[in-house]
Amino acid sequence: MSFFSWAWDWVTTDANWHGSGSIPQQLVAYLGYCALPLLIAALIGVPAGVAIGHRGGKRAVVVINTANAWRAIPTLGLLILLAVFLGFSPLTWLLPLVVLAVPPILVNAYEGVAAVDPSVKDAARGMGMTPWQQVTRVEIPNALPLILVGLRTAAIFVVATATIAAYIGLGGLGRFIIDGLASDQYGPVAGGALLVVILAVLVLALFAGLSRLVIPAGLRKQAKTE
Amino acid sequence: MITFVEVTKRYQDGTVAVDALNLEVPAGQTMVLVGPSGCGKTTTLRMINRLVEPTQGAIFLDGTDIKDRAPAHLRRGIGYVIQQSGLFPHRTVQDNIATVPLLNGWPRKKARDRATELLTLVGLDQDLARRYPHQLSGGQQQRVGVARALAADPPVLLMDEPFSAVDPVVRASLQDQLLSLQAELRKTIVLVTHDIEEAIKVGDLVALYRPHGTLAQVAPPEQLLAAPADDYVAGFVGFDRGIRRLSFVTTDGLVLDASPVLPADATVAKALAAGQPWICVTDAERRPAGWVATVTLAAAPGDTPLGQVKTEPVGHAFTFGTDSLRAALDAAVLSPAGQAVGVDGDGRVLGVATFDQLRAAIQAADTRAVDSRAGDSAEARRR
Amino acid sequence: MMWSWIPSNWSLIWQLTWENAKLGVLPALYGLVISLPLGVIAARWRWFYPPTLTVINILYAVPSLALFIALIPAFGLTDTTVIIALTVFSLCVILPNVVAGLRAVPAAVTQAATAMGYGPLRRLVTVELPLAVPVILAGFRVGVVASISLASVGQLIGVSSLGYLFIDGLQRSFPTEIYVGLVLVIALALACDLIIVAVRRALTPWAAS
Repeated sequence: MSFFSWAWDWVTTDANWHGSGSIPQQLVAYLGYCALPLLIAALIGVPAGVAIGHRGGKRAVVVINTANAWRAIPTLGLLILLAVFLGFSPLTWLLPLVVLAVPPILVNAYEGVAAVDPSVKDAARGMGMTPWQQVTRVEIPNALPLILVGLRTAAIFVVATATIAAYIGLGGLGRFIIDGLASDQYGPVAGGALLVVILAVLVLALFAGLSRLVIPAGLRKQAKTE
Repeated sequence: MITFVEVTKRYQDGTVAVDALNLEVPAGQTMVLVGPSGCGKTTTLRMINRLVEPTQGAIFLDGTDIKDRAPAHLRRGIGYVIQQSGLFPHRTVQDNIATVPLLNGWPRKKARDRATELLTLVGLDQDLARRYPHQLSGGQQQRVGVARALAADPPVLLMDEPFSAVDPVVRASLQDQLLSLQAELRKTIVLVTHDIEEAIKVGDLVALYRPHGTLAQVAPPEQLLAAPADDYVAGFVGFDRGIRRLSFVTTDGLVLDASPVLPADATVAKALAAGQPWICVTDAERRPAGWVATVTLAAAPGDTPLGQVKTEPVGHAFTFGTDSLRAALDAAVLSPAGQAVGVDGDGRVLGVATFDQLRAAIQAADTRAVDSRAGDSAEARRR
Repeated sequence: MMWSWIPSNWSLIWQLTWENAKLGVLPALYGLVISLPLGVIAARWRWFYPPTLTVINILYAVPSLALFIALIPAFGLTDTTVIIALTVFSLCVILPNVVAGLRAVPAAVTQAATAMGYGPLRRLVTVELPLAVPVILAGFRVGVVASISLASVGQLIGVSSLGYLFIDGLQRSFPTEIYVGLVLVIALALACDLIIVAVRRALTPWAAS
């Protein structure tokens, strides 16, 4: 496929690895563009999802439907809107990506906690655990597989979409794609895309390893969803 | 002890689960709450550890209103066992058992040692300690659930249909385990069940509920069987309560006859001379080997030892003094001779009891005061 | 915010909305059609699922823009390019739900159906899939909403959608257009979402909802 040959030629060109705007530079910048929104989204989505799942009830369903509605917000549109009003502020690229990442994290955290066996939750409460202890010692550990699925999905979304930051003049791997498009050079376009895909694969591998590390042995055996 | 004073639980849609309940659970005894589905027994139980809050009335634990204690703190002092065990799937068996001690701040080693102790107490093998709940059978999980409830040595134990989810053989074994634990530990236990047999077997006191949150009768099981308060109670308890009541009467008042009992080396002639319709043949250790009808002996030569004659199986024998009159009656029914074989603690034959002698003992039991919950009748009740 | 711009450009707005709707719903539908047989296979032969899911996840990671570009040589600067790319993305969202939905059908139900004499295909179509509908439609909802949203990126390669309003608005420094674009994309996505919820209610009268 010519896509790969363009990409390969470009990635293996030594010049692209040095100087300003080089591959390593943009890669590092890209990691920042991905990691920060993810972190913020996790800090918002996991506690919120867990709290709503712990509480349960009709209100929970309403909140979850709202979170799903968030997905309707077009990231590109939001980015452009913020660019017009805030210019080059960090919020311009941060907010759209956070908005993108929160729904999968929140919904999965909620479902993870909601899916914990009711008799386990009843036992935890009946034994004298305070609500905080119930959540941290029982509900979160049991919800961990689904929480990780949510984080992984959000990570893939963000890695794929952070390229649009380049559209408003910022760096990252998207720079290669946008510049290449503008100057009709398919090398950087394909190459940039390939690098993003490789990054995504690494993220998937990272999560696979993380889940093996973090999920308690007792839960792993019960063939859960991945 | 636990006292309910005019306790009512009314839900927002108007349903009344518990209606002006007054109940006293004596310390150190097992109170069983039994009744049809939806009668409020589980709601009553869950009000004790404040998982459900009463709409009216008050509940006192050892003289203090439970509302005056913080819920989490209250619950740490009350063991809680539920039907599906609710074991934490993400923790090993020993860490499950150690939960409340760890919550109370015990050092990890001490908590784990305590867990090991409890595994033995509930009759489980040490090598289960590091397994996960999903690797255990239903009966094993329930035992772990009980061990977990006992870990911090709470004075009160609440059990909500703890044995309903396992098969009858395992259930009987778990009930027996509970009885022996209780004999040793003397906790205040409140147990909910829908099975009247279970209530009679394990309870010191039985509180029978009517369908909508009120009590029909609160009494020791023997009294429930002997004197049900009304037709509802009689119906709930079951039609053969007369015979079941005999489980609470000991056999030590039974008169045993030793004349139909002969050893295997006795001759046929001696058997015929005894003048009994049936002879109980014993082996060299005086254990029952079989019954033989004397009419079948007429054909055999007089000097044949009884051991060589074809006998019919005994069925089962009852242990004199420890087994109940019900077990003796059952032994008589099963015996081809219509007589129950009574043995001592080592299985050696003491004598036999005919239906006449059993009838006399039953009638004597009626006029005697009902046994209180003491060691002997506890054993007797299990057969 | 120049309100008068809206009525005077009504036909443009309407046309773009319709384009975006097509670019949103069609890929999700194609994604559903592809996911169903794949999902059935994956639910039945468990070893098939992890590799398939990994491949789809990787495809999802390709930035939408780049995937559009990769497809241009084959399909040109047309709707088709965007639709194919968005179909691939929606697979990522719908396939896991098809598998999860089928796996969630209680074993007791499938066994009872088999015992009553249902052949495997009939059982699948008349028992398992209907019971899996809520979960499958949940995935479909997300697929439609995401596609409607992503379709706007197609504007960058000249495939018209409501994204046109973002880009034109940026280039002309005309916020009104951007607002209108944003609101319409969100409204369109939510409208489709509600329609799908209604469809789900109609298809599953037995469900308590």
